[in-house]
Amino acid sequence: MNGVNTSIRDILYEEPGKKARRRIAIGTVISLLLLVVLVLMMIRRFYDSGQLDSKYWIFFTKSTTWKFLGKGLLGTVEVAFASGALAFLMGLFMMLGRISSFAVARIISRILIEFSRGVPTLLFIYFFFLAAPQFGLKLPAFWKISIPVALSAAGMVAEVLRSGVNAVPKGQTEAALSLGMRKNSVFFKIIFPQALRYVVPSMISELVIVLKDTTFAYVVNYADLMQNSRVLISNYDALLSVYLVAAVIYILINYILNQISVAITKHRNVAS
Amino acid sequence: MEQSQKTFEILEEAPVIELRDVNKYFGSLHVLQDINLSVKKGEVVVIIGPSGSGKSTLCRTINRLESIDSGEIIIDGVSMPDEGKKLAEIRSQVGMVFQSFNLFAHKTILDNVTIGPIDVLHKSRKEAQAEAMELLKRVGVESQASKVPAQLSGGQQQRVAIARSLAMHPKAILFDEPTSALDPEMIGEVLNVMTELAQDGMTMVVVTHEMNFARRVASRVIFMDGGKILEEGTPDEFFAHPKTQRAKDFLESIKRHES
Repeated sequence: MNGVNTSIRDILYEEPGKKARRRIAIGTVISLLLLVVLVLMMIRRFYDSGQLDSKYWIFFTKSTTWKFLGKGLLGTVEVAFASGALAFLMGLFMMLGRISSFAVARIISRILIEFSRGVPTLLFIYFFFLAAPQFGLKLPAFWKISIPVALSAAGMVAEVLRSGVNAVPKGQTEAALSLGMRKNSVFFKIIFPQALRYVVPSMISELVIVLKDTTFAYVVNYADLMQNSRVLISNYDALLSVYLVAAVIYILINYILNQISVAITKHRNVAS
Repeated sequence: MEQSQKTFEILEEAPVIELRDVNKYFGSLHVLQDINLSVKKGEVVVIIGPSGSGKSTLCRTINRLESIDSGEIIIDGVSMPDEGKKLAEIRSQVGMVFQSFNLFAHKTILDNVTIGPIDVLHKSRKEAQAEAMELLKRVGVESQASKVPAQLSGGQQQRVAIARSLAMHPKAILFDEPTSALDPEMIGEVLNVMTELAQDGMTMVVVTHEMNFARRVASRVIFMDGGKILEEGTPDEFFAHPKTQRAKDFLESIKRHES
């Protein structure tokens, strides 16, 4: 909205002067040197302990390894997508209940939201994996991971959506009401679309959390990136190399998600 | 005799807007005190008064954006209900223009003007758009139709807001300090549109600090202070011979600013 070069730093701090600039430059050089030393030390440790031996890395030249990891990645993306969509729907309903004019709906929604936010993801997974089958609820592995992950994200989604709804200025509602629009129309045509735009960055952060939670898939034996990495590890006895590669893949996906968030925010700012 | 006189009155001039003994409290603050007001078809009633006098609140009660504690508001012969479908229907017949424009930020200018007719009056998109373009032309912003509100100047946004109200074919339009949020050079363009509307016979209730507009355009000026209507008269009467001391003081303080 403002100048192109405005960053958080520009808002928080005044522009550095000559002395400060020199101090910053010296600090940067020293910390870079320290970083290089640290990385070199790490590599040295790995080398000394034999982690860089070719037997730990040679299987990455085989296409089957990448196919296997790719399959896992696909599983991860599928679960993350299903969980994300499910969490959004559940969160939407919880939020609608939370802002409802019916006291009962508000109380129930608050309890659900606190429950969803308070219970650890793994506990939800154990419930669907271990407890639910005893009551005759037998789900495929895909849903045994997707539903609990969604459940544990839904409360947060509800609160984020609610903050978005609250951020829409009151005048928008008043203008819509004064045109004679009904309550539901006002909410779904005027308030909610604007609320969604406000919360895109937070929603994508939430999706990153969901994606990371999907790594619990190994608990229910669902073949995601994590589970397939574990299989590779036991096949090749190569703990560090495989986890390192898996971590890089996770970082890449989440980096892409964050870039999407930045792009959307930028696009919106240009538009307004 | 009394009965026949009443009937005569109704036939002669059923007011578009009528407030009967309206009272409103904000907590213990009595912000509207026994307000009686009636606005005839084609009248332009300008409400003036110091800030905190209740003039904005009065304007907002007319389409029930503010609830009232007692009394009655009657729009074109129909008493305004507290809620529901009927309330929405009556609101759709009374336009409102806000101080802060309140254009729908996520919609284009054209969509801002068509959403009412499409959503409330159930017009076809095509028909609504054709009419919206006419209205945008009338207020002089037709070239901005595909932009979003934030891309327009304040004056342009307020003119779009007026077009959005007109699209509903309202029986009256309420203006709640329509120029107070505008840069000085944009006030004129909005007042011009409002003056044209008045000349075309639109029934208007205008809360404003623009005394020149009140002098030129108002059919009646209402002076409020402390939640009460203190004076009511033609602009000539009011500005030349204010009756109450409060009105005299108010006009005096404004004169000092304007000179």
